Amino acid sequence: MKLSRRSLLQSALLLGAVSPLVGCEHLSSEVTRRLGEEVPEKVGAYPGDSIDPDFHFLSRTTYGCWPGDLDYLKSVGQQHWLEEQLHPDTIDDKACMLRTRRFETLNLDAGTCYEFKKTALQDDLVRHAILTATYSKRQLLEIMVGFWSDHLNIYSQKADCIYLKGIDDRAVIRSHALGKFKDLIRASASSPAMLVYLDGKENKKSKPSDVPNENYARELLELHTMGVHGGYSQHDVSEVARCLTGWRVRDRWRRGSSYFDLSMHDQSRKKVLGQTIAALGGSTDLDKVVEIVCKHPSTATHIATKLVRHFVAEQPPASLVKQVAATFAATDGDIRSVLTALFMSDEFRASAGQKIKRPMHFVISSLRATASDTYAHKPMLEYLSCMGELPYQHPTPDGYPDVGRPWLGTLLWRWNFAFALLNGTIPQTHIPLEQLMSAVPGTVASGGSPLFSYFIGRNPTSTELFALSKIPAARPDLLVALILSSPAFQRY
Amino acid sequence: MKSRRAFLAQLALASEDALTSLDAGVLVCVFLRGGADTLNMFIPYGDDNYYKVRPSIAIAEPAKNRGTSTQSLRLNDFYALHPKLAPVYPLFADGQMAIVQAVGSDNESGSHFDAQDQMEHGEGYGKPLNGGWLARYLRARADKKVTPLSAIAIGATVPESLRSAPSVTALTSIDDVQMQLPPRDAEAVSAALTSLYSQRMDLLGQAGKDTLEVLKRLEGLRRHDGKNKPSAGYPDTEFGKGLSQIARLTKADVGLQIACINSDGWDTHFVQGSTSGIQADRMDELARGLAAFDKDLGPCRGRVTTIVMTEFGRRIYENVSGGTDHGRGFAMMVIGKGIKGGRIYGQWPGLADQGDFLLGPSGLAITYDYRSVLAEICSRNVPFDRIAQVFPQFDPQTIGFTG
Repeated sequence: MKLSRRSLLQSALLLGAVSPLVGCEHLSSEVTRRLGEEVPEKVGAYPGDSIDPDFHFLSRTTYGCWPGDLDYLKSVGQQHWLEEQLHPDTIDDKACMLRTRRFETLNLDAGTCYEFKKTALQDDLVRHAILTATYSKRQLLEIMVGFWSDHLNIYSQKADCIYLKGIDDRAVIRSHALGKFKDLIRASASSPAMLVYLDGKENKKSKPSDVPNENYARELLELHTMGVHGGYSQHDVSEVARCLTGWRVRDRWRRGSSYFDLSMHDQSRKKVLGQTIAALGGSTDLDKVVEIVCKHPSTATHIATKLVRHFVAEQPPASLVKQVAATFAATDGDIRSVLTALFMSDEFRASAGQKIKRPMHFVISSLRATASDTYAHKPMLEYLSCMGELPYQHPTPDGYPDVGRPWLGTLLWRWNFAFALLNGTIPQTHIPLEQLMSAVPGTVASGGSPLFSYFIGRNPTSTELFALSKIPAARPDLLVALILSSPAFQRY
Repeated sequence: MKSRRAFLAQLALASEDALTSLDAGVLVCVFLRGGADTLNMFIPYGDDNYYKVRPSIAIAEPAKNRGTSTQSLRLNDFYALHPKLAPVYPLFADGQMAIVQAVGSDNESGSHFDAQDQMEHGEGYGKPLNGGWLARYLRARADKKVTPLSAIAIGATVPESLRSAPSVTALTSIDDVQMQLPPRDAEAVSAALTSLYSQRMDLLGQAGKDTLEVLKRLEGLRRHDGKNKPSAGYPDTEFGKGLSQIARLTKADVGLQIACINSDGWDTHFVQGSTSGIQADRMDELARGLAAFDKDLGPCRGRVTTIVMTEFGRRIYENVSGGTDHGRGFAMMVIGKGIKGGRIYGQWPGLADQGDFLLGPSGLAITYDYRSVLAEICSRNVPFDRIAQVFPQFDPQTIGFTG
């Protein structure tokens, strides 16, 4: 269900009705709370010594449980939940939309974006990413948006990319995140942001001595589709670069949109991965290249490997990669089918708690588990920046590393974030701690154990319980911060 | 009993060379990410082909542009230094900086990430090793105790070269490494974290333990080195700041053995420029940083060896957009006291016209495997019979830039 015009108007009226004396963010918070961003009166307890399977399921398919999410999943079952999430338009996301509508530049065309300051665009882009990840009820979509944003990474600070990344996010990443893989790649290939980031717009052949710029061609094969050992040669890279000559980005009228300029295109015959692309193909050369590389068996394996690494294990089990790659090949790269195969696998079920959260996942899961009310202002972004994973800031096209190890050098900043979040020193960020404490059964009476189970999905071990006992009983804020700082919460 | 620091200070007064032989212990690895075009850093002005294949981006020979900021600096009869690298020229002239030409790996993929991983692991192509070469180097240096400050990476992430190191710390600023807690909570929280992270000595357990230890050690360092402020001259960038942190740790004598720092933005496919422009700006930051670092180290410079490397060089010829695509061989810089500097090692392989024939990305032919350079650097601190632990299944060539 799209947010209808009428419901948007209703919400706007509701906003107007609240006292005009309070700040705009406070207003939004009031409204969004009524629209579902609240802590239920009670959340269920599912105590056990190993991680609850539904908790595990949610930890991987979302940015972490919001209070009540686990109860909802248990009431409808994993398959129903997944079906819903795979069709995000059916999920009402008004509250999140209200919270993020302030980031107007995300919805403008590039030409208009050029009228804004780079810093304003940067701010909107990053805060939008963090707030949608935190508040959207379309959580699986958000997880896939994160995955594809890394896969088709664009460094927002290179050249004009900041003016163009917002459109890329909308027209490439979000439009195709759960669609067909080849549509995603085709959209990315002529996305102005990508044409700027990987120099595609400079790749031309207007006289015989011109040597193509092969930056994008190489990354298309190496990173976006086949993988570095996928079986292409240097010659294939050059041939793909020739096929892609002539794609440009307008710099005056309709500034920031892409177009094809035949006079800059190499019109002779090419041969890509053994297949001939006839002369005089013009702009259709690009379609043919995308078709050839997306159909290549290495692409199925490469994408399957990355998805299994992301969702199951840093060392992807070969059996599952094979199975997921087969689904990819059989469905012409249908991302919904591929994800379903993945989440319903035994390997997925058996992998609870074995992955290490990356900084973004850590921050967002902390915000979600505590039902934080935030607008992601600069002081909060600083923490994520110290941890090293601010969205769209990775300079090279490989995207942020999708394994835990490289991120463990900045554990200190996770701890600092957790304690700042709970002691209220992050400006304009509030946690309904009292409601949370009363919603989690038995918290007051029984030390840290029920709270720990709520955040981690299992009972604490005796060592963990001993560590929690070092926190004074009157300090639930420290207790929650400590749980968020614990090794168990870094895993998922 | 005299403190170690006082002892060293006295030695330094007596003779800087004595200090060098006592402890040449800090290895600084500067990695130019993206594949630096070293052909435009150390200009082969003696080869006419250079000017033919790079009509718009070549750097003129030192005889031209005399007295201007675009004049290259003569290194010998064949090579000149890019004008933006001028700040490191005194190191070369002083004999403290060597350049090794035509270095590279057997990686033909043309991929940044594959080539970087291979190089940071210290591997041959398709022969994976577990962990990074600096991690093995750290283990092979039996003379030193490993602490969480033995190996540091500037920035938020730990590079592959330090993967599987017994201990490694990532940091951006020494002053920022502290728990932001009200003093009344600090004790309980620290006790609880210590107990949580000592539960299991896995990846996370180790990281937590190291973090707690580094917090303590850097707090101590800050208490003691108040006067140890960096000298001026560092570029006001992450790279400049990172180098100043390395200098501070070196001077404080906290047992630093390895420091890794990245310089980003060397992937110059598009309008890389010549004496000014994108690559020139990168060189400017690099050279000013290295020169300030040397000055800041002062008498401690004898303990530091700095290497500057990249994953591959670039094509010998420029592309249609005034840039260069991925190539092969490149030049490395080695800086330190006791380096036989002021020279360029390695034969010039020439710039043969490769036409359309492309076996792997074409570029400068390779004379030295990158591991030969690294092994020779290791030999300053690692006993000869242990070099094979750092670079297994590899027989290094002697280049001769170490004493």
